[in-house]
Amino acid sequence: MDPAGTDDVTATLFGQAAVPRDVGVFEFLSSSQYWTGAGGILTSLWDTVVLCGAVALVATLIAVPLATMLAHYGRGELSVTWIVTLSRAVPTFAIAGLLVPISLRRGWGFEPWPIFIALLLLALPPIYLNTYTAVKDVDRGVVDAARAMGFNERHVVFRVEMALGTAVILAGIRVAAVQVVATEPIRAFLGGDGLGRYVRDGLGQNNDSLLLAGAILVATLAALTGALFGVAQRLALPPGVRRLARARDR
Amino acid sequence: MINRLIEPSSGRLEINGTDILDQPVTELRRNIGYVIQQVGLFPHRTVGQNIATVPRTLGWDKQRTAERVEELGRLVGLEAAMFDRYPDELSGGQQQRVGVARALAADPPVLLMDEPFGAVDPIVRNRLQDELLALQQQVHKTIVLVTHDIDEALRLADRIALLNVGGILEQYATPDDLLRDPANEFVEQFVGQDRGMKRLTLKTVAELPYTQGPVVDATATTTEALAVAEAHGVDWVGVVRDERFLGWADRTDLTNGAVMADLPVARPSARVTPDSSLRNAMELIMTGRTSVAVIDDGGRFGGVVTLDTIRSSLGSELGS
Amino acid sequence: MSIVAEAANPIIRWEWVVDEWDQIREALVQHIELTVLSVALGSLVAAILSAIALRYRPMTSPITGFAGFLYTIPSVALFGLLVPYFGLTRTTAVLPLAMYTLLILVTNTLAGFDAVPSAVRDAADGMGLTPTQRVLKVELPLALPYIIAGLRIAVVSTVGLVTVAAIIGQGGLGRLILDGLRRTFWTPMTIGAVLSIVMALLLDGLIYGLGRMATPWTQRARTT
Repeated sequence: MDPAGTDDVTATLFGQAAVPRDVGVFEFLSSSQYWTGAGGILTSLWDTVVLCGAVALVATLIAVPLATMLAHYGRGELSVTWIVTLSRAVPTFAIAGLLVPISLRRGWGFEPWPIFIALLLLALPPIYLNTYTAVKDVDRGVVDAARAMGFNERHVVFRVEMALGTAVILAGIRVAAVQVVATEPIRAFLGGDGLGRYVRDGLGQNNDSLLLAGAILVATLAALTGALFGVAQRLALPPGVRRLARARDR
Repeated sequence: MINRLIEPSSGRLEINGTDILDQPVTELRRNIGYVIQQVGLFPHRTVGQNIATVPRTLGWDKQRTAERVEELGRLVGLEAAMFDRYPDELSGGQQQRVGVARALAADPPVLLMDEPFGAVDPIVRNRLQDELLALQQQVHKTIVLVTHDIDEALRLADRIALLNVGGILEQYATPDDLLRDPANEFVEQFVGQDRGMKRLTLKTVAELPYTQGPVVDATATTTEALAVAEAHGVDWVGVVRDERFLGWADRTDLTNGAVMADLPVARPSARVTPDSSLRNAMELIMTGRTSVAVIDDGGRFGGVVTLDTIRSSLGSELGS
Repeated sequence: MSIVAEAANPIIRWEWVVDEWDQIREALVQHIELTVLSVALGSLVAAILSAIALRYRPMTSPITGFAGFLYTIPSVALFGLLVPYFGLTRTTAVLPLAMYTLLILVTNTLAGFDAVPSAVRDAADGMGLTPTQRVLKVELPLALPYIIAGLRIAVVSTVGLVTVAAIIGQGGLGRLILDGLRRTFWTPMTIGAVLSIVMALLLDGLIYGLGRMATPWTQRARTT
């Protein structure tokens, strides 16, 4: 079998990026003709952003409430130990691969369910872990004081525990998002598109410019995602806590 | 600083006449036993291996090391069964014993103890202090012990160096001198308001210039007894037979010329031994029926202690 | 697209497994080789980086920051970036895989050394152990549980990531997965995916077992 995969079913299925070999990396990335249009970089970028955004959103909607509730009622301590161990080891490619035939049989196609679920499994652990520890680590004195002032459980959860834990929860979402964006490109090898297609097509066409450009695009998006959430994380710190954090750092 | 975990900035530190800076630091440390508050046993090594650390680094052979470990175990009161356990399986007191054994392993002339009993509860601390005193009777080391507990210092030390914040030496004296004659206000504050009582704790009955007191033999007559009582200016005498103290006879009973043995005597209510602290003796005198404590020296009558003898032993400065 | 008739394309067809056993074994061996090479290289570099960070504390942040940065580079991108220089070779597969192990290995090693109680360190110094003896005989053994925990995660995640190296023609079991996907023939894909997951679990268990044997003091509970 030709490792470069010129007989790549998925590639031919979704149409390859048509870029002449003599176009350099810089030229490719700076010419608007490759960005716009039906098969342009913007379309691929959008594909990736939509999928990753959906994964991050769904993972957040599942993991945050679940972890908050469990931590609030002091349950599921064991889950944390397990998830810490497993979280770094989710074999996304293998899981997505296993899901493809199932998805096809149900008539859902190659895309996007297998990769969506595989990425979801990747995104859940960091969010769950950070939320759990964030809520768990809220000063019990503060919680008791809130109760003493007549906060009901809902108030305690939303106004105290989650409010104080926001930055840590966001940090979890950040880790998840970066991992999802970094892993999403394998979708191009699972019958999908997204930014990973340039790497795939670069490999398939033996076109180093395309390959490098694809790698740069994918890496840049991951870095941007991290930076973006980093800013959000800083803004989410309550001013009082922010001051404290600064004072501690000093 | 003695073992150069902190380097001295100035001055000289000598052990047996050798400047500590004149030898390799590791060699210096191997010749100084070191015991710290948190014990610092190696959790990944068994008790036996912990004790054997310095002998092994000094290159002792297995046989000699094993014998030494066993010997030390006996010395500090560890059962041999514990040698194969890990430190985490021992109680705090046992761990500290292992710590002491480990420090003594290569028979260093000097033992450094940095708050060795700070982390254990008061009851265990007391016992470990007793054990340390007993151990010192056997090993005769130069022990430098750092503590924040003035009572511990007073109890264990031959000499105390009292350091203020910043390492300023406020006084260097024997425990008794420190209590009797504090060098300044800081020392006085530090040893506490009750330094008189503390001195009583330090001193033993044996140190008193005690006397036999007004006692007569059981074979004596009442007339002889009366003379003794009058000579001492008291209205009672003690009765002794075969070096044993029988009890007290009241002066009002000393009338008919009988032999003392036939008189009714009140059994003594306060007994102390020469090893008892003066504080202990005073307590017995205060709570007993008589104002005198009898010294019982292993069954033999040793003499009597009164509040007056105790007071005079502390020196006049306490009365003022 | 036309999918091969369902009956002809079950999730797993055992005759294929028997017929193509040589190919499967080859993929297994390559998978293990790539994993071991990557983790070994990663461990070596992580050991050096950790030693530097432990010796020169201010270097800790830059080193973990660098390892963290490497970790966030998408694997597809990293493989892609190296292809123009090293081609579709084993080197191109191993370098990124080794880079990804650095973060967890360095972090856990440093955490392990940090977890050595300062009293134990003081005691070691106070008893006259040389710095080298202290590190090798006291600190390293005590850090071992953390290092092993890091190694387990590194190995398990590397086993998973090796499959991705299939895109550059390496990848061991990943090639079976990719091959199955390309041909929409599920047997090799299932075999590749399942075996890679089983391999991860087995290697994890193996290191866990070896780790327990190497750290007997961690198993006995405090009796008091």
